[in-house]
Amino acid sequence: MTFKHFILGLSITFALPWFFVIAVPYAKMSQTQAVSFVEDIDEQTGVYTTKRAGRVLDGAKVYGAEGCYLCHSQLVRPTYAGSDVWRLDWAGDANHPDGDTRRETNVYDYAGERFAQIGLTRTGPDLSNVGVRIRKYAKEAEISPEEWAYMHLYNPRHKLTTSWSVCPSSTQLFRTCDVQGQGSLEALSVDSIKDGEQLIPKESARALVSYLLSLKKDNKVPASIDYSR
Amino acid sequence: MATDTNLSNEQDAIIRAEVDRSLRHPVMFFFTSGAVWLAISIFFGMIASIKQHDPDFGLLPDFFKDSSLFAVGRAYAAHMNVLLYGWGAQAAFGVMIWLMARLTRQPSRNSGVILTAGHLWNLAIAVGLIGICTGKGTGVSWMEFPTCVWPVLLLSYVLIAVWSLVQFQVRDGSRTFISQWYLMAAMLWFPWVFLSSHLFVFVFEGHPLMTAGVNAWFKATLVFLFFIPVAVGAAYYLTPKVTGRAIYSYKLAIFGFWALAVIGPWAGMQKLAGAPIPHFLPYMGMVAMILFMIPAITVGVNILVTMKKAPEVLPYSPTLRFVAAGSILLVVLGAIGIALNTPNGLRETQFSIAGYGYEILAIYGVFSMIIFGAIYFIVPRITVREWLSSRFINWHFWLSVYGVVTIVFCSIFGGFLQGEAQEAFDKPWMDAATRGYAYTLGTTIAWHFIFVSNLVFLLHLLLMWMRLGRRSQHPTLLHSHHAESPHGGEGFVDNA
Repeated sequence: MTFKHFILGLSITFALPWFFVIAVPYAKMSQTQAVSFVEDIDEQTGVYTTKRAGRVLDGAKVYGAEGCYLCHSQLVRPTYAGSDVWRLDWAGDANHPDGDTRRETNVYDYAGERFAQIGLTRTGPDLSNVGVRIRKYAKEAEISPEEWAYMHLYNPRHKLTTSWSVCPSSTQLFRTCDVQGQGSLEALSVDSIKDGEQLIPKESARALVSYLLSLKKDNKVPASIDYSR
Repeated sequence: MATDTNLSNEQDAIIRAEVDRSLRHPVMFFFTSGAVWLAISIFFGMIASIKQHDPDFGLLPDFFKDSSLFAVGRAYAAHMNVLLYGWGAQAAFGVMIWLMARLTRQPSRNSGVILTAGHLWNLAIAVGLIGICTGKGTGVSWMEFPTCVWPVLLLSYVLIAVWSLVQFQVRDGSRTFISQWYLMAAMLWFPWVFLSSHLFVFVFEGHPLMTAGVNAWFKATLVFLFFIPVAVGAAYYLTPKVTGRAIYSYKLAIFGFWALAVIGPWAGMQKLAGAPIPHFLPYMGMVAMILFMIPAITVGVNILVTMKKAPEVLPYSPTLRFVAAGSILLVVLGAIGIALNTPNGLRETQFSIAGYGYEILAIYGVFSMIIFGAIYFIVPRITVREWLSSRFINWHFWLSVYGVVTIVFCSIFGGFLQGEAQEAFDKPWMDAATRGYAYTLGTTIAWHFIFVSNLVFLLHLLLMWMRLGRRSQHPTLLHSHHAESPHGGEGFVDNA
């Protein structure tokens, strides 16, 4: 083997996969077009929009920086790759007023995010539809979804949430401060706080909770990408 | 090896000594600072691991419970990134520049630049670590350092590695060894993989799913096209050097190299199986992960058969023992790659702790073990002192082997059980969430062994760095023959 053969061989063996696995799919997917509803089939018109608020996208950054992806995935795989669709409340709401909303992840679900947090493990549950679940649990506990989410982030083993959870407490997203006047509306009701002090979520927690509540895939998708039809 | 050149043995010995002297400071700097980062990484790994099975932090002192610096997601990111770039890359640089200089028989003329770039690299790692721990990580696995860090890492890398390429170009035309091909390839693959991945993820505007795909590809290729080839290159140098035997089959070695070059770059996207990306991408990844067994078994067999031909050296040389363990674990890595990436295996383990076990096996079990062997070989030569204690080396070896085998067993076996529970969709999620408990606990205990092992190693290396090693003509061997000499048997190991 000479140096010339070496460089030539290395260029071919590396450049080919780099081109076909990385460069071309990257370029093609960056040009993903929006899909439209077709009136005859979908009984509605317009474009399938996936716009998300700025605070939600800030929350996506907090999600990444706090390493939530270590234990939580955001991917409902089709049935050939896993049985995620069938697990209760993972893929959508089977008893939604508009009908069964369960579906696998589509290409528009991470709209606005820089990086799709597919996740590394499922030490915790998949979060593709955690917004649906939080609203359901909050309704059962008769508190607001935001409050439920704050409680769960502060102490995942709180009696209002899940007693057996293996999720670590994200206390770094909260701070204690003195009560001023009537106190904050967002203050968490926890026992460990002294009189005259309150526990409130930091801005990062607000953004993260907005993001988590945005994770729900119960909107109607056009028939062209609805594989359950 | 002296017979491969036109030089006499004496001239050759002089050149070797010059090479060693010229690279003493940068190589010792890379090894020592790398070992410090390794200890830091394992410390973060222990915290992250404890919090996975003991989220209420019952075992930990208050400081680690309450401090946001050690929040589990941050601690895990810190653990992996410091392991990869603080320890892995730096240890690889030290071995790479020394081996390339030795094999091209040219002393380094740029040690000052390399050392400066090494300091820059360390500074960047420190900034990155602080960034992750204060909640400024990017959230992209293995690329979690804040985005200001990676250009600095790339610049330092170029200033460290480019001189070895120059040395190769101006070599005296003597024969090229298989080690050089591996090291050269790793040197060229690394910047391409590193730069293009970071551009695609952080600079260009891409689809979020494909950004995740590039990240998955980056993780696989960083292992297959950088860490593994550097380790294999070192193993192909150390084994013949210490045993005094030629490599069992040079043709097999060349075949193994090209097999890795052809298969490696396709791996990675199997982590996105089921995601709405072009369907061939995960399948290509699965195929590459399975076919990786070919280069793994080629290298493993070639190294181990060569060692087997030298039974008189094998029990005594610390270097050989580490390289043998790394080579065996390389074959195990190939086998586990098959188990995890069959369609059913992937379905169960895609989101289980098995992925972590595979990564730790590759980075610690294969790469680090072989590089430890290289460090035990190189450091006495560049410091002109011998290792102080064969007992320290023994502890380092056994605690490391015990630790990494336990982590891999717990993660892979536990990963399959965890995946099985995840797939049982009609059972409550609590089953799946608590299934991994015993195995993450086992992983924590194993990290403690590895931590102790590396404190011993770090202490030993720091003593060598301070030039407190033994002044002796006799290398430190694992079994000493007190009846013959207090320094161990003579003539077993070529100490030149």
